Amino acid sequence: MSIELAINSPVFLRYLLIVGGLLVGAGIVLVSLRLAGRNVESPLRTYRGWLVMIPIVLGTLFLGREATILGVTLLAAVGFKEFARATGLYADWWMTGTVYLAIVALGVVTLAPDPRLASPGWYGFFMASPVFVISSILLIPVVRNRARGELQKVALAILGFIYFGWMFMHLGFLANTGNAYGYLLFLVFAVEVNDVAAYTFGRIFGKRKLRDHISPNKTLAGSVGAIAVSMALPWLLWFSFPHFSPALLVLTGLIVGVGGQLGDLVISFIKRDIGIKDMGTTIQGHGGILDRVDSMIFVAPIFFHMQRWFSGLG
Amino acid sequence: MENWQYRPSPGIGTPVAESLRSFPREPGMLAYAIRSLAALLLRVWLRTYHRLGIEGRENLPKRGSYVLVCNHTSHLDALCLQCAVPLSRIHSCFPAAAADYFFSSLPRSAVSAIVINALPFDRQANGGESLALCSEVLEKAGNILILFPEGTRTTTGSMGRFRSGIGRLAAGNDVDVLPCHLDGGIEAWPKGRLFPRPRRLRLRIGQTRNYGHLDRSPSSVRAVCADLEVRVAELGEG
Repeated sequence: MSIELAINSPVFLRYLLIVGGLLVGAGIVLVSLRLAGRNVESPLRTYRGWLVMIPIVLGTLFLGREATILGVTLLAAVGFKEFARATGLYADWWMTGTVYLAIVALGVVTLAPDPRLASPGWYGFFMASPVFVISSILLIPVVRNRARGELQKVALAILGFIYFGWMFMHLGFLANTGNAYGYLLFLVFAVEVNDVAAYTFGRIFGKRKLRDHISPNKTLAGSVGAIAVSMALPWLLWFSFPHFSPALLVLTGLIVGVGGQLGDLVISFIKRDIGIKDMGTTIQGHGGILDRVDSMIFVAPIFFHMQRWFSGLG
Repeated sequence: MENWQYRPSPGIGTPVAESLRSFPREPGMLAYAIRSLAALLLRVWLRTYHRLGIEGRENLPKRGSYVLVCNHTSHLDALCLQCAVPLSRIHSCFPAAAADYFFSSLPRSAVSAIVINALPFDRQANGGESLALCSEVLEKAGNILILFPEGTRTTTGSMGRFRSGIGRLAAGNDVDVLPCHLDGGIEAWPKGRLFPRPRRLRLRIGQTRNYGHLDRSPSSVRAVCADLEVRVAELGEG
């Protein structure tokens, strides 16, 4: 990935056209609804959020591998910060600081070449990193000579690192693959479309709640509709990974469709247990960073290992 | 099994712009790091570019909370006073800053909150509320408050009358107040100029005053203000 490759990449250009077209189309629909006298205040706020987010995401990918990995590392750090603030772990600077450092280290490992294979990204270290980070987090109470309440903090810090740091950072590691543009652009696009589809189908057909004790807004109809859309997307966007067989396209659709909604539900039950509505207020009309990337945390690592198993890193 | 106790940060639902304006603010690791670094750089800049000299640093109490009261000639004043405070206490040193000026926009709020660690002081409507916030700050041991009782920067170079706020804060309360005087601020960075000029600055810190033995009547408040006004002016003459 680099600026030069992005300019000459037909995949990048196609996604630029697709996303640009969708944005313009959605804008026209919203404006005409508003002119027709409908109240579109809330979707308009969400739309403005997209108008800010999409150029940032595409611009980061355009700048190349380093910018992409840096961007994902930053998102992981902010995501963990939101989780830490929501649970109260944030007050413990030892725990928070250790996890921050670990996430930065993951970014460095993702950027660094493998010393023995000379391929971009130190895969072995990346996958082994939980061993070192979990040990470090467990050592904090020992070093500080404290026991009271430490188990909860240690558990939250480990979950924070593994889920919001390590699992999410697999997205950054995709930048090291030979088909980085195809994978990254498809994942980001498909996961967001999956979210929007679940919401839309739920609004139109939704009656039965999917998981009523976790999230009152998610319905069975929305979920089924989103899976259907996600199953179709890999076929429509086959140019993103021309080397995938039809079986892999089905698998990809399932990972995005099912995984995306599971990621959403996971953040929902975390928020529900804590007793908050949104993880933050970073993005206008969307809530916190975690409320936006929640689906990706589940999808990215599974997709990463799927593509690695079937097509190798190269 | 017992349930876990979660303590979400109080500011979790407030937008960024608003949370920067709120006080007391939640300690954040990144904000602390930026502030420490900025304080270090500001010290180097004030000591070299402005050749800042500080006299009477030994008067600063080693522990406990106190108020620094100073004449107000430029934006450099608060920075110079912060420069006199030990670097380790920079995160509990709060210059009271006009909310209508320093917290008027998002970039200004960010600098005021993160770099300067300013306490947003409402000088128009809620003066009493802001003063209550100040005494709350002083109740916590180890906090330092920087106040400019004139309420605004002078344009003439001569010191303005002290407003009653500091008197209401100090009269009848066991609070240490240190009069300070900064010389050269008006030459270095007068009101209306975009950038400071390389003029010499001199900061003098006076002896600790305590008005805990007074009552809280309006006459005592006036007496405190008058006393501090004289002390600050004296430091400027010597």
